[in-house]
Formats: sequence, C-alpha cells, structure tokens
Amino acid sequence: MRSNPAIGVAENLLFAVSAIGASSQSVNLATQLRHVSAHYSFPASSRRDPRRDRFRSLAQQWRSETQWLSSTTEVAMNPAYQAIIGMGAEALPMILEDLRQNSGHWYWALKAISNEDPVVPRDRGSIKKMRGAWLRWGETKGLVRA
Amino acid sequence: MMFQDLVRAMQSKFPQLTAANSRPTSPYDEGYNCIAWAAGDTDFWWWPDPMGQAYWPPGLPREETLDAFVRAYGLQGYTERCDASAEMGRQKVAVYTARNGKPTHAARQLSDGWWASKLGPHIDIEHELGALDGPEYGTVAVILARPAK
Repeated sequence: MRSNPAIGVAENLLFAVSAIGASSQSVNLATQLRHVSAHYSFPASSRRDPRRDRFRSLAQQWRSETQWLSSTTEVAMNPAYQAIIGMGAEALPMILEDLRQNSGHWYWALKAISNEDPVVPRDRGSIKKMRGAWLRWGETKGLVRA
Repeated sequence: MMFQDLVRAMQSKFPQLTAANSRPTSPYDEGYNCIAWAAGDTDFWWWPDPMGQAYWPPGLPREETLDAFVRAYGLQGYTERCDASAEMGRQKVAVYTARNGKPTHAARQLSDGWWASKLGPHIDIEHELGALDGPEYGTVAVILARPAK
C-alpha cells in the first residue's frame, strides 16, 4: 500500500482542528481528505473486480482446453468461451483488452455479443487483419484504449 | 520449454506422441492452422465454421464434413485417394476425423515419409503418421494425393 506524507500531515492537522470545534467546512474537508488518502493508498485500478477475475479464469481455461484445436467451431463452443459470451456486453472491454495483449480467437464471441462484424469478407481467416479490424472497432466505440 | 517437456505435457491429448516419433519445426504462430498448412497456406486460418470467421474456399459449402474437406483439398489438386506410403512424384495430405466423423486435423507428407503438422495455433511439428492419433484429433480418415509440383 502506498502512503503520501503530505496528505497524512494535512489530514491529521485538519482532524485535530475539527476535533476541537472547528467549522463544518473544515470537518467536510477533513472527511474529503481522508477519502483522497484512501484512494491514493488503494487505487481503484488495484482493487479486485470479481467480473474481471471471472473473465481471466475463464479465458485461461479456454486457452488451455483449446490450444491444440484447429476447429474454429470447437474453439468457440468450449464451455468457458460460451460462459464468456454469456457475460454479455460487459465482457467486450475485457475481450478486446485480451485480444490486444494476447491475441486469440475472440472473433466469434465479439460478433455474437456485439451483433456487429467489422471484418470485410476477404479478410476472414486472416488473423492479423481480423485482430486489427476488431481493435479499431473497439477503439471507435471507446471499449479499448488505442 | 524443451520439446521433450512439451511432448510430456501433450500426452494426455496425444498419447502416441513421443520425442522419438516427432520433432518441432517452427514456433507458435496463430496466423494459420493445420488445414491451411496442409494446403500450403500460411496466411489464413481455414475452417468451414458456420459463423464465417475463418477462410474456406469460395464456392464450397461451409460444412464440417469429411466430404467438404476432401472437396477443399480437391481444389488444391489432391483428388486421388491413396495409402500412406511415400511415393516419388506424388504429394499427399491426410485428413483426420474424430469418433463423430467430424474433421479435426490435416497433415502433409514429407519426402522421407514423415508428416508435417500445424497443431492448432501452436507449433509445427514433423511426425510419424500415427503419432497424433488419440482423443484430440481421432485418427486418419482419408489420404489424398496429387502429382508433385
């Protein structure tokens, strides 16, 4: 956990002042400062998100169980993959981030969830081009960072 | 990971595979699969999936049947059914099917009689024909030949 000495000193000072009968504004300020301190020490980005944990676990299971398969159908019908599709639209940013970092055959899931397909017919099966088309789509929708 | 270690890790899916009946030839590459590799294509992932997310030769039905795969290789000139022997002047591909009859895998024969396979998005290996028999790919259902190019 991180700590910021400046925030800590200001927080203690305001707490001490408010404790001896300071204005309501200083009490509010002390409360807000405590929240700032808490967010600084334990940022939202490091908090465990159960949905993200579930996605990671399912994605790992899917990769492990389909790593030798050529059948796009079998890869997509894998129970872990279907469970990710079942997560619906909330899975899209996680799928796109995984696609960006690790690649993988996410195209069936992306199409099934979004009901869109940015891949032009001549590029179907060209993994590099499909990946690029879906990442551009995700960036346009604000679902994955450029 | 050393190839021997990888083979050990693969043996639950490929019980016949050993470091003696196979050898690795290229690293992980998800850009193409075994069906494409056997057809001589390393730019596309081939599969007749109903969602249309993979390449399949235009004009052929997107069906996961042995007949559809035989027709796909037929377009590449592999029109004759044959055995697994190595023959001068002929190139061969083997198509594997699972117990349910659905195609799972394809391999291309090398001049020394071994076979070259791409393992899904994973590595390429060379192997004896029976080395990949097992729960993952099933067994060879048909071998097709064409005149060597």
